[in-house]
Amino acid sequence: MIGTGGIAALLQGTLPPLTQPLIVAVALAYFAVVVGISVWASRRTRTASDFFVAGHGIGLVALTVASVSTSVSGFAFIGGPGLIYSVGLGAMYLILPASVTNVLGAWVLAKRMRLLGEARGLITVPDAIGARYRSPLAQGLSGIAILVGIVGYMATNALAMGVVINAIFGVGIGWGIWIGMGITLAYSVAGGILAGIYVDVFQGTLMAAASVLVFFYVLSIGGGLDGISRTILAADPAFLGPWGKWTPMAALSLFFVFAIGSLGQPQGVHKYYMLKDPMQLKWYPLLKTLGLILVLLLYFGVGVGVKSLVVSGRLAPLAVPDDATPTFLLRFTPVILAALVFSGVAAATMSAVNSFMNIGAAVITHDIPVALGRPSRNELRWGRVSTGVIAISASLLAQFSGSMVAFLGIFGWGLFGSTLVPALAIGLNWEGATRAGAIASIASGLAMTLLFETLAFFKVYAFPTGVTVSGAALVVSLLVFFGVSWVTRHTAAAGIDPDVRVVMEV
Amino acid sequence: MTRSIAVAGVALSTLMIAAAYASAFLGAPGPASWAPWMFVLGVPGAIVSVMVLGAARGRRGALGSLIAPMLLVGLALATGFGLALALPANESESTRLVLGLPLRAAIILYGIGLMPIVVLPVAYALTFETQTLNAADIERVRRLGAERGAGLPEATRHVAAHRGEAR
Repeated sequence: MIGTGGIAALLQGTLPPLTQPLIVAVALAYFAVVVGISVWASRRTRTASDFFVAGHGIGLVALTVASVSTSVSGFAFIGGPGLIYSVGLGAMYLILPASVTNVLGAWVLAKRMRLLGEARGLITVPDAIGARYRSPLAQGLSGIAILVGIVGYMATNALAMGVVINAIFGVGIGWGIWIGMGITLAYSVAGGILAGIYVDVFQGTLMAAASVLVFFYVLSIGGGLDGISRTILAADPAFLGPWGKWTPMAALSLFFVFAIGSLGQPQGVHKYYMLKDPMQLKWYPLLKTLGLILVLLLYFGVGVGVKSLVVSGRLAPLAVPDDATPTFLLRFTPVILAALVFSGVAAATMSAVNSFMNIGAAVITHDIPVALGRPSRNELRWGRVSTGVIAISASLLAQFSGSMVAFLGIFGWGLFGSTLVPALAIGLNWEGATRAGAIASIASGLAMTLLFETLAFFKVYAFPTGVTVSGAALVVSLLVFFGVSWVTRHTAAAGIDPDVRVVMEV
Repeated sequence: MTRSIAVAGVALSTLMIAAAYASAFLGAPGPASWAPWMFVLGVPGAIVSVMVLGAARGRRGALGSLIAPMLLVGLALATGFGLALALPANESESTRLVLGLPLRAAIILYGIGLMPIVVLPVAYALTFETQTLNAADIERVRRLGAERGAGLPEATRHVAAHRGEAR
């Protein structure tokens, strides 16, 4: 849900040193469990379907916890609280859409994608687009869009891993990148997404428990939510305004992008294929939403709690907002709780890397060859090779590309939203959508995001205040999708296979 | 019919948001004063329309009893955003708190951040077999998949088998 922006928190390398024996010990224990899970998973990974979608065999609880874990990444614990400390309640608009996105995804995508997996054994998100429109071109183009987004996500998460591992072990950011990537690569290549899912389950459970505990520490130290609010209102009332320090349009624009854009995030959507029994989807939105609330308590609690401590003079103003969580944990909670959170952040970035590695490998070994009319005959072997290539490329990019890596990480969410939401989320539910509409919307979302994010990064041109590239690109790609589908509507009915039509109707 | 209305709803809501963005390019400085109101209506409109599109079932796109919770949440989102925008920005030390927060923040956090959680996932679960998926649907799709698989060329079946697909 919120992986992109928060990584910026870690990219600045601002985490204070955490090299204390207990924190190091907990982190080592954490990594030992990850290795154990990957060894177990590697023995159960025998086919490409096992590697990419866990053989369509994950249970409800495991999938839910893993999905929560992938959704929040390390951002929920570091970048998010820092953002609240910095801009007030406006930062909540990144996570507020979670109240509707899980059930939205369940209605719009979960059933149809899981049934497409059932009918056709699909394993990737572009697979679904290819099947819906009977179009290898649409499949290949959406695969390329995903790959472009993944390059940024992977590189930024690799750098974030380096920062966190350096803070815990004091090995330097460069070595941190390679150690983190090495561990992630080992379990990704060996156990594929199965290892990733069960590492996520382990990590997500600890993150939820740690988040709840930290939240109660915040309330206890701040005198409850009433006490925290009173303290902040006396010094900085705008902080607790409904938009924080942002304009209403900026906050509402974020809500739009994070609500509707959630339907195009491959790391979340891809998981619908993995559920063992489609009937278990019944409880998936409720469980996932409740899990997210638990994990996000820290996001809200530490953000407002640290602000209250700072304005009341109990804590010195932070040097950088992203110090909010490390400072609070090291000053106000037992070191074991701090150790759990920091290890969780390291594991969360590794989990995000694993998830994107797997999706990227699927694009390279499956979607692009299918688009070129040359499907691979050994997707498992090539999936493992591609995973390694992606991991090494991302690590090199993270280590040597300087500020470019931050740029690459900025637009992932918006790129996925603008390229995949119309063709996938709307297209799987509307028979009037056409192949031309899908291709045009994917191409326009990709072109617009790349063009305007690049112009903004190089300070050549920026949109006016209140307009984000991700929001504008999503709007344009939706309108292009509807417009081109309307113009080519005579082709709509003939473009759907009978089994896909049934999946779209039920 | 339901799906057509939902698609029209998504398109209309998107156009409202597009108009709000466009006003930022035309006016100076920043967006027009009415632009946030386009979001207040357009965002809930887009969310509920997409929801209806996804939940519509069968050729006629029946929604059954889901229409009530969906409209309720859409209304809550629009009202919540609208109140936050319309109520005076008078937060201060003496502001009365609602569940620990100033009124406008409480409307957003509790009304928009928490209320839909109580309504939508529960409505989804309670109507799951009748409105979303049942054993007959799965059987129907599996049968069609098997029929299609039997008709695939030999080379395609080889790739499918290698991927570990049962069908």
